[in-house]
Amino acid sequence: MRIILGVAGVALIAVGLFFLLPLPGLWGVAAGFAGAVALHDAIVGPLVLLTGLLVARLPDRAVVRGALISMGALVLVTLPVLLRPGPPPNPTLLTLPYGRNLLICLGVVAVVAVALVLVRRRR
Amino acid sequence: MAIGRWLGAAIVVCFLTGLISHVLQHPPGWMTGLLPTRPVWGYRLTQGLHVASGLAAIVLVMAKLWTVYPRLFEWPPFRSLAHLVERLTIALLVAATVFELFTGLINILQWYPWPFSFTQAHFAVGWIVAGSLLLHLAVKAPLIRAHWRKKTSDVDAADRRALLAGVGAAVGVVTLTTAGQSFTPLRAFTLLAPRSPDLATQGVPVNRTAAAARVSHASADGWALEVTGPRPYRITLAELNALPQRRVRLPIACVEGWSVNAWWSGVPIGDLLERAGAPPGSALRVTSLEAWGYYRVMEMPAQYAADPQTLLALRLNDEVLSLDHGYPARIIAPNRPGVLQTKWVSRLEVR
Repeated sequence: MRIILGVAGVALIAVGLFFLLPLPGLWGVAAGFAGAVALHDAIVGPLVLLTGLLVARLPDRAVVRGALISMGALVLVTLPVLLRPGPPPNPTLLTLPYGRNLLICLGVVAVVAVALVLVRRRR
Repeated sequence: MAIGRWLGAAIVVCFLTGLISHVLQHPPGWMTGLLPTRPVWGYRLTQGLHVASGLAAIVLVMAKLWTVYPRLFEWPPFRSLAHLVERLTIALLVAATVFELFTGLINILQWYPWPFSFTQAHFAVGWIVAGSLLLHLAVKAPLIRAHWRKKTSDVDAADRRALLAGVGAAVGVVTLTTAGQSFTPLRAFTLLAPRSPDLATQGVPVNRTAAAARVSHASADGWALEVTGPRPYRITLAELNALPQRRVRLPIACVEGWSVNAWWSGVPIGDLLERAGAPPGSALRVTSLEAWGYYRVMEMPAQYAADPQTLLALRLNDEVLSLDHGYPARIIAPNRPGVLQTKWVSRLEVR
C-alpha cells in the first residue's frame, strides 16, 4: 500500500515536470517556488509564532486565537485585491469597496469573539 | 493532525475539479466525443468548488505550516538519507502548494505579475502538488497509522480542539464572504469576492470586454453570420430574429470561479446547421469578430452542437445582448467553461 502510494506520487510529479519543463518563463516558476518557501519560513512563520507567544498568556486564549486566525485569513485573501496595481481590466471585476468590507468583516469577527468570551464567563 | 486531513481533502477536491476544468477547456482529441452536456450546471459546480476549495486551502495550509513550523529547525538537519529525502519531499510539497494557491488567488483578480502562462504553469504544478502529497502520505504512513490507533486522552486534546475550532471558523468566514460569486444562496454575504453578479450589466459579469477584444458597434454594423457546410449561406441579424426563437435558462460559469444563471434567447444551433445541410453528428468551428484572443476560434464537439439547449443567443435576460455580452450574437451551450461561450460570433463552419 505504502509503496503503491509512493510510486503513484513519483509518477504524478513526473507528469507535472513533463508539462512544466518545456514552458517558457520557467525561471519565474522556480523563483515562485523558492519565494513561497522563503516568504513563509522567514517572515510569516516567525510573525505568527511571535503572536502566538503573546497570546499564550492571555485569559480566554482559545477564543482570542480563533479570532486572530480568522482575521489573518480574511486579510490574507483580501490583500492581493488591495495591492493589485492599476484599474481593474473591466467594470464587472473588483466592483466592491474591499477596504471597507474587510474592516466590516474584521469588526464582526471581533464582536463575535468578545460575545463568546462574555457568554463563557457568565457560565 | 486533523488540519492535515482537511487540507488533504481540500487539495484533492481542488486537483480533481481542476482536471475537469482543464479537460473541458482543452480536451485531448480522443476525449472530445466523451464530454457530457449534462448536468447543465456541471461546470458551474465543479469550478465553483475549485475556487472555494482553493481559498479554503490557503487558510488550511497556513494553519498546517504553523503547527509544524518548529520542525523546520530540527538539528541535525538530516539524520539519514531517508530523512533527507523526506524533508526534500516536504519542501517540494510546500513550495508547489503555496505557488499553486498564490497564482490561483492572483489569477481570479486577472492580475498576471509573472513571465509564464498562468494556465499552463498552474496545470503542470497541480500535478506536482498531487504527486508530492501522495509521496508525503507514503513517507508518513506509519505515523498516520499510529495516530489513528491512539486513544485521544492526552492533556493537549482540549487545546487542540480549540485550535481546530479556530481554524474551522477562519475557513468559514473566508468561504462565507467569497462563495456568493458562484453559490447564489450566499450572494448577500459577498463582501470580499472579486465578482458580484448583482452589480453587472444585464445581470451577468463580463470576462473580456468588447474594448479589450477590439470589437465596436461599427464592426458589428452590417454584420451577417456566415455559415459554411454542404449548403453555405449568409444570414443577417433581422433574418435571425425572424427565425423561430428558443428561450433557455443556462448558467454561465467562468474559469475564474464566478457563475450566474440567466435567461438566453436565440436560434438553436441545430436549426442553423440543418439549414446548411450539415449531416447529423457534425461538429462545429465557431469564429469570433474579435481581433485576437486565445479563444477567437472555438471548436464545438458534435454533442454540444446537437443539444437543443445550445443557442446562437441574441438576447440575455430578455434584452438585446449588450456589446460587452457579445452583440450581435453569441454562443451559449450547457456545461461548458465561459471562455468557450464565444461572443461576437461571425462564422459557423460545419466540420
